[in-house]
Amino acid sequence: MSVAQLAGGRVPRVARRAAQREWLFIVAAVVLLGIVVMALFGPLLAPYDPDQLFVGPSNGAVSASHIMGTDDLGRDIFSRVLSGAAASVFAPVVVVVLSGVLGATLAVVAAWFGGWVDGVSNRIIDVIFAIPGLVLAILAVAMFGKGLVAPVLALSIAYLPIVSRLVRGGARAELGKPYMAALRIQGVSSGAIAFRHLVPALLPMIIAQSTIGFGYAMLDLAAISFLGLGAQPPASDWGVMISAGQASLLTGAPEQSVFPALLVVVTVLAVNILGARVTAWAEGKDS
Amino acid sequence: MSDLVLELDHLSIAAPAPLAAPGAGPRTIVHDVTLQVSAGESVGLVGESGSGKTLSVRSVAGLLPAGFTTTGAIRVEGHDLAQLPKAELRRLRATRIGMVFQTPRAHLNPLRTIGDFMTEALIAVAKERPDAARRRAVDLLAEVGIPDPERRMRQRPAELSGGLLQRVMIAATLAMDPPILLADEITTALDVTTQEEVMAVIADLRKHRDLTLLFITHDLALAGAVCDRVAVMQHGRVVETLNAATMRQDATDPYTKRLLSASLPGEVSAERPTDAADPVLVVQSLRKVFSVLSPKGRREEFVAVDDVGFRLEPGGSLGIVGESGSGKSTTARVICGLEAADAGTVLVKGEDWTKAARGTKARRHRARIAQMVFQDPYQSLDRRQTVRECLSEAVAVHRPRASRVELTARVDELLTAVTLDLDLAGQRPRSLSGGQRQRVAIARALAADPEILVLDEAVSALDVTTQVEILTLLDRIRRETGVALLMISHDLTTVRRVCDQVVVMKSGRVIEQGPIADVLDDPRADYTRTLLDSIPREGWVPRRRIPTRTASLPAVATRATRIIPAESVAPESIPRRGEKT
Repeated sequence: MSVAQLAGGRVPRVARRAAQREWLFIVAAVVLLGIVVMALFGPLLAPYDPDQLFVGPSNGAVSASHIMGTDDLGRDIFSRVLSGAAASVFAPVVVVVLSGVLGATLAVVAAWFGGWVDGVSNRIIDVIFAIPGLVLAILAVAMFGKGLVAPVLALSIAYLPIVSRLVRGGARAELGKPYMAALRIQGVSSGAIAFRHLVPALLPMIIAQSTIGFGYAMLDLAAISFLGLGAQPPASDWGVMISAGQASLLTGAPEQSVFPALLVVVTVLAVNILGARVTAWAEGKDS
Repeated sequence: MSDLVLELDHLSIAAPAPLAAPGAGPRTIVHDVTLQVSAGESVGLVGESGSGKTLSVRSVAGLLPAGFTTTGAIRVEGHDLAQLPKAELRRLRATRIGMVFQTPRAHLNPLRTIGDFMTEALIAVAKERPDAARRRAVDLLAEVGIPDPERRMRQRPAELSGGLLQRVMIAATLAMDPPILLADEITTALDVTTQEEVMAVIADLRKHRDLTLLFITHDLALAGAVCDRVAVMQHGRVVETLNAATMRQDATDPYTKRLLSASLPGEVSAERPTDAADPVLVVQSLRKVFSVLSPKGRREEFVAVDDVGFRLEPGGSLGIVGESGSGKSTTARVICGLEAADAGTVLVKGEDWTKAARGTKARRHRARIAQMVFQDPYQSLDRRQTVRECLSEAVAVHRPRASRVELTARVDELLTAVTLDLDLAGQRPRSLSGGQRQRVAIARALAADPEILVLDEAVSALDVTTQVEILTLLDRIRRETGVALLMISHDLTTVRRVCDQVVVMKSGRVIEQGPIADVLDDPRADYTRTLLDSIPREGWVPRRRIPTRTASLPAVATRATRIIPAESVAPESIPRRGEKT
């Protein structure tokens, strides 16, 4: 008797991938935990005063006393990275949470009521969509002054349409499903339908979008700081440090830009891996 | 034997080990299936869902899910598929085997025209010139009895009804002139009259093309009517292979006998004396119009329900039958307050329910009186809720002050009423079978102790054996609780089993109504007779009928939903096709 293996002999391809994901997930979780600790306790952990000039040589290389080297003004880069962590990590979180909550609420309300409510909310979203995030941020800075608050608010509004469009589509699809009609016929109250059934169904989508949004927000905020509109010297965040390191970068001392940039990349990656996992978990409850 | 074109030789199929328990090893789902099909023969493969019939056929077409392995041999025209080099195998499958699936809509790209779909294989595989491919596609569409094929070529799947799409799938499969056709539940999603048309097409093709057919279905009566031989599968094994013409006499296996009895027209349920009690539901000259978008983008009116009236006695059971697009589901949705009627009245226990309930309080009041069970239990249950959560919620709506203990007790009571194992209470819908899910949906509807239970095609998606179980359950519940049943179905057999009264609908209008025995045994309307004739039975020959205008509406029509009618041609423009004899 012949043995036919019609569909790919090696069976547990799916299983292997799942195992790899498990490993990645643990690494991402540990990395993110480290970054959160940095953000929370950064100033306490810093070996030097981050704003103290010339604690070491100007543009000093990586060494035992300065593990990330020193910048053009002789400040300890590691200390500055630690003290800037809070602003760099928490600002995008605020952006994501604000845009997520506002966008999802607007979307659910629009999808639920339909008709003119939907129309008005769509036009508002269209208008916001038409303005690029960075332009909005610059506008906000011009109105409210420099600092982190204005760009964070501006980006929250700028990201709102992305969340809202996505969630509105999902909510409309969900509301059209027979189980929603079944709930109405059962006499379940509208509030219970919305919060016990509709929102949980949309949660995986919102979480997935938020983790992607976090990456964009971090990079956008870095760009705003890079333009000199975000955190103001001597306070710093990672974006400011990357921008300030440009001159040194050209003279062959990349440390000042490279380390914060590396942290931005690592954080965004870790959040995305974690987000994929959380989304899978939220979906796993239903799919 | 040289004329064997398809042979399954001791075929077993194993699924990969589940992720949760990698040590368990692969699970064998299909055991040692041996099946031989000669040239020009038609063999039916019959069994309930999960019996392995689809997997067996998919292994022939090379469509097993990733990780599935087979042992044994599959031989197509004498070639062992496992021995063939990959390129050869692909060529063989592309040119010698055609496969048609259950849900044509899911297999067609909604953004491409029928023409794109039809010519794709001809251009890509057979290397025909586009204009030649196009001509051939039109010929093929005409061959499967699609009226006005030139126009269909330019349309998209959304503009065609289910029956027409299934014909398009068959035509596309024929493009490569395969001698073997694998048909996987191709008529399960269609109503009886459309099923008859599609089966007539298949019968014609077999006559003219010498097709070998492997026909998978859960409907033994249908298989018996269109196949030469029938193999019955249960739990991954072929329990019996029978000659279709004599299967009723020859069947020895208990499972086959059960299937046979499930497809018999059931006894007309004993009629109850219609007491003079006030009817619980009175529908009078009901009318529902949808504003739809015509193919040219204009708004036009589609009358889904027109002048429909009937009454339902307390504890009675009324069936509404008709093909898809006849307005029977819309009628049910209006009664349950999911749609607002445009004219006419719906009186429930003397209250006017014509307007859809506004607000939670009004809905809750109505929920105590009328409940509904939907066609697809998987979609009508929240997939995130366990059975217990789902039922508790339904109970708590009407007993807001009930304690946790009382809720648990009531849920257990409901589960017992629908004969569901209490251990299943912690499961979510995806780990339940179709029959179990529908029981949960029925239990949920009973949670409110309703006086009217509306069943919208509640058993259409289930296997015949499960159908009988659910129908028996419903009949028992009706007798025990005195709930009145309003049963919407395209299947006269199911209506006959449960209902005392029947309303026959077509194109939104009532064609005939009356006591079930009078209407089904001595129909006065031609349309009722057509419906009755479409039911597969012994000695049944599917006939082609003149395609009628049926427009299927999407399941949910809200203010924002734009409904595009499936076929918006004036009936006069359809070329009439003589009936083949």
